[in-house]
Amino acid sequence: MINYKEHLLSNGLRVLANEDECSAMAAVNLLYQVGSRDESSERTGFAHLFEHLMFRGTKSVPDFDGPVQEVCGENNAFTTADYTNFYITTPKDNFETALWLEADRMMGLDITPEKLSLEKSVVIEEFNQRFLNRPYGEQWHTLRSMVYTRHPYRWPVIGITPDHIRDASLEDVKDFYERFYNPSNAILSVSAALPAERIFEAAERYFGSLPAGRANTLSQESIIEPSITSPRRHTIESNVPADQITIAFLMEPRGERGYYLCDLLTDLLAGGESARIYQHLVRQRQIFSAANAYITGESGQGMLILTGQITPGTSVEEAEEALYGELELLVKEPVGDYELRKVQNKFEANITFGELNVMNKAMNLGYYSMLGDMSLLNGEIELYRSITAEEIADYIRRNLNRNQSATLIYRSKR
Amino acid sequence: MKRPEIHPISLPRVPHYEVTKAANGTPLYTLHNSTQGVVRVSFVFRAGTSYQTVPFSASTVVNTLSEGTQNLSGEQIAEGLDFVGSYYDANIDRDWSVVTFCSLGKFIDPTLDIAEEVILRPRFPEREIASYCAKRKEQLHIQRSKPEQLSRELFGKSLFGENHPYGITSSEEAYDDITPELLREFYQAHYNAANAFAVISGDFGPEVEERVKAILAALPEGEEASREIPPLESVPFAKESLEGAVQSSVKIGIPLFSRSHPDFIPLQVLATAMGGYFGSRLMQNLREEHGYTYGAYAAMINLDQSGYFVMSAEVAAEHTDEAIAEFFNELERIASEPIGEEELEIVRKIIVGDVMRIFDGPFGAADVTIENIQNGERNDYTEHFMERVRTITPAELLAVAERHLQKNRCTVTIIGA
Repeated sequence: MINYKEHLLSNGLRVLANEDECSAMAAVNLLYQVGSRDESSERTGFAHLFEHLMFRGTKSVPDFDGPVQEVCGENNAFTTADYTNFYITTPKDNFETALWLEADRMMGLDITPEKLSLEKSVVIEEFNQRFLNRPYGEQWHTLRSMVYTRHPYRWPVIGITPDHIRDASLEDVKDFYERFYNPSNAILSVSAALPAERIFEAAERYFGSLPAGRANTLSQESIIEPSITSPRRHTIESNVPADQITIAFLMEPRGERGYYLCDLLTDLLAGGESARIYQHLVRQRQIFSAANAYITGESGQGMLILTGQITPGTSVEEAEEALYGELELLVKEPVGDYELRKVQNKFEANITFGELNVMNKAMNLGYYSMLGDMSLLNGEIELYRSITAEEIADYIRRNLNRNQSATLIYRSKR
Repeated sequence: MKRPEIHPISLPRVPHYEVTKAANGTPLYTLHNSTQGVVRVSFVFRAGTSYQTVPFSASTVVNTLSEGTQNLSGEQIAEGLDFVGSYYDANIDRDWSVVTFCSLGKFIDPTLDIAEEVILRPRFPEREIASYCAKRKEQLHIQRSKPEQLSRELFGKSLFGENHPYGITSSEEAYDDITPELLREFYQAHYNAANAFAVISGDFGPEVEERVKAILAALPEGEEASREIPPLESVPFAKESLEGAVQSSVKIGIPLFSRSHPDFIPLQVLATAMGGYFGSRLMQNLREEHGYTYGAYAAMINLDQSGYFVMSAEVAAEHTDEAIAEFFNELERIASEPIGEEELEIVRKIIVGDVMRIFDGPFGAADVTIENIQNGERNDYTEHFMERVRTITPAELLAVAERHLQKNRCTVTIIGA
């Protein structure tokens, strides 16, 4: 349970404050409502590249990290398909340093051709390290392009190719900055053992005078990905160490009931050692050496994933059958109360464990505010508790069959 | 906008534990933090991989404690923990194994019912062990196609020696030789009162303490585990090619000593300056100036009977040689020029900030306690550590760097192009 107070600045910046009880630290989180889904298909990977550039200094603070370090702070950021998130933790009496730095770089970023060129090579090395220089590295590029035909979720956050990053121009940087990095497109959240009024007053002081900027009209939000209506399949033969199968289904956006059904369903299948896929397919039948089921968690139409690395001697077909077999079992014999209670308990515990430090609390506040329904912040557990076995069976029957799937198979040449 | 005034930063208060002993002498450390409604219990054993005589036996023991006990099947254990949303973790390093149970306060009782079985009465059932070994064998095979895994292994054996307990790696086939008898033997030798302690942290009452103490009291007495640590056989350079690699995984290490050595803390400070934060020398040089890498790091690593200084990065394949040259430039610089007072002040703040962040949340203090106890210290070590960092001088650091951070003592390993 995260308590919070909310305050809106006249320039549109949303501010949320959680009054922590005991931490010596303050967490300051700034979320911009821009992610890879806002990119043009010719300049993919740009939102993430831009996140890196936000650390490249302004006219008044050329070295962003210096002032953070001087107050024993730590900072970082990440980019998702839906949003870009910056965060700083400091000892609580110095939280204003974080506000000052964030306000400063919301307007005063100073990107030169040299800085851009250097950051491109860093990001290209990140691309190499995480996606090219490893087995199965291209799987998300391939799978997303199979599941999505129109929606910008069809490329991963890192981008389609390093070439798109290489091609980014200073002009692109300026446009993007002007369009998305504004108070009216941002959410500031703070968790600290400080009165909310103190946090709001400081937010007014540092951010209040910034111009609202163009309101971000999220044109992409209106793009609806059409359902998959016949099986999509792709096989990659390569030098990977083991055969692997990944089955993806298109999901409903977060906030829709189907989203929570899928989340709970994947927990029945793979949420812990006692879950079905692990018990049946890894332990008992030894079809997979590792297997998983999860949702990718985008705020729009994300994916439900079933995946596993197949043991030597088991065929890909048998593995695929086995995964569908687990779905069919949930239709034939709807899950019992005990098992439902188990995954619901697990949600409750995970929520509590996820709220143990100021950083997580500040991040959650920002995220749920972005979703536009703060009642979900502490209310999702009730949604999970309201789900019934029949609903799950019905959802599987209607949505999780071969005709609505995209399947990516790796065959090992070993 | 004017920069806010900097408020003085007080050093974090290190939580102190209380210690009691179970009837057989096994120590129990308790740390109360009553705000969050969660409890964590960790059982720690002198049972790391360096004690094993048969490859993979130490890790198999700790990972299969929960695969079946006298009164519960593996499935019932998993089921029981999942039902109350408790979190179970079995962890091993080269010197220690740690088994952790973490639960909502209201579910600590059923969680400890299972903990008692897992810690005291594992059966190592034949079928489950065979299944575990087959699975791990396959997963290791998969891991070994990844540069970071290959790099870790090549570095370990190059720094310590191919047969050294801290450096040895074994073939995947070695899993075929694991038997339940072997596991029971290792369990009996290491999971006993002479080699164990436990730490409870979070929100709990005396009845939880009593239950954990009863579990500890039921451990057989045993003898303190020991093993022969042979001299190192480091090699200066090793390289393995990886087909189609677009990056090289580079590690550079110097074998040194464990935390009890008086130069250890100065070396931690030096490692932080070198590669322990975003503004560090390696990060600035290799990433920010040259764009060779996404990240470059340095650290001082503590082992029970040894320790080492290490620098690492995944670098663009075509710049491997230049990157290694820059690692050495930085090593030479830190061992020949005194670190500036201003840079040192930042490094101090980085270290203090790291400690403060560890103590944010109810469980960080347990991790710090475990580490201190493992090293034969109490939690005032952490206060001593921060005080030492606060008062250390550039001249002291230079003398330590000159003594230990010498190019000709380095082991360089490369996986990739």
